[in-house]
Amino acid sequence: MKIRVTLFLLIALWCIGFFFEWLIPVNEKLLALLPFLHQTYSLICHQEKVKLITSNGFESLVCSRCAGIYIGLLAGSLFSIFKLPYKNPDIKVLSVCILIMLLDIAAYSVGIYHYSKLIAFITGFLLGSVAFSYFYSGLIHLFIEIKKPGWN
Amino acid sequence: MELKKYLPSLVCGFSAGVLQVVPLVKSFSCCLVLPLAAFIALILEQKSTNNYEIISAKKAVKIGLFTGLFAALFGSLFEILITFITKQNDIIITFPELQKMVGNFPVTEEMKKEVLQLFQNVRNDILTTGFSWLYSFSLVVNDFFIDILFGVTGGLIGSQIINNRINNSKYN
Repeated sequence: MKIRVTLFLLIALWCIGFFFEWLIPVNEKLLALLPFLHQTYSLICHQEKVKLITSNGFESLVCSRCAGIYIGLLAGSLFSIFKLPYKNPDIKVLSVCILIMLLDIAAYSVGIYHYSKLIAFITGFLLGSVAFSYFYSGLIHLFIEIKKPGWN
Repeated sequence: MELKKYLPSLVCGFSAGVLQVVPLVKSFSCCLVLPLAAFIALILEQKSTNNYEIISAKKAVKIGLFTGLFAALFGSLFEILITFITKQNDIIITFPELQKMVGNFPVTEEMKKEVLQLFQNVRNDILTTGFSWLYSFSLVVNDFFIDILFGVTGGLIGSQIINNRINNSKYN
């Protein structure tokens, strides 16, 4: 339980990070941190302006799809607090989520439809929420191995 | 030190590091590049050792960690080098945008001035010498923190995927 709550809090902190611009009116000194955080998130997202989540003149520091992935992870971690994820989740579920995301990328890339922030967010969310159980399962296996006598 | 042990991490970390730096290519980078690099490193490690047994979480974390480490090392090294040679980087290119963005924030003029001054100093350093201590420091800290975090995450998720596949093929 402690691990799951800690994971939830850490992922929540990460998610707050990419919605950082919304916090600046609360404390203006936070503005000094913005370019640093911008650089941090630029390592893991292209930050194309048209793909960012915008509201009230503020922009997220990652694109809709990345935001969806992380919020999906957050939702997965929140869900795991109430119901334990599968110890060995099936690979097919993850494969389907990856396929849906790739189909969306392919569809707007070849011009079947225009890029939609909502679709990108939803496909990312699906992948993130499913990927959490894999991550959690890996982490649990790691802790079991560490607790084994003779581990170094 | 047995180099062969670290070769998959080195190859994949190097590739991920390059993807983070090279102009144009880096615009395609996303949050899945590093976890994918760690996952490929796990597969390469299996192939190089010819060991297709279940991957322990400890080993997965180790490979993910080294992939992240190498990606951070090469990523920051290339970025600092390219900045030094070209005297150009994202800070210089996006500075007018940053000015506009900071100008639109609902904060005092004094605060806006202070933040912009800080970045003006970094920009001037890069334009004149091609190097800024503050920029390089934040780059290295960011690279190592993010790359290691995503490398380890990718290693853990990747090992679960590979192990799942191994278990499926055993029982089918």
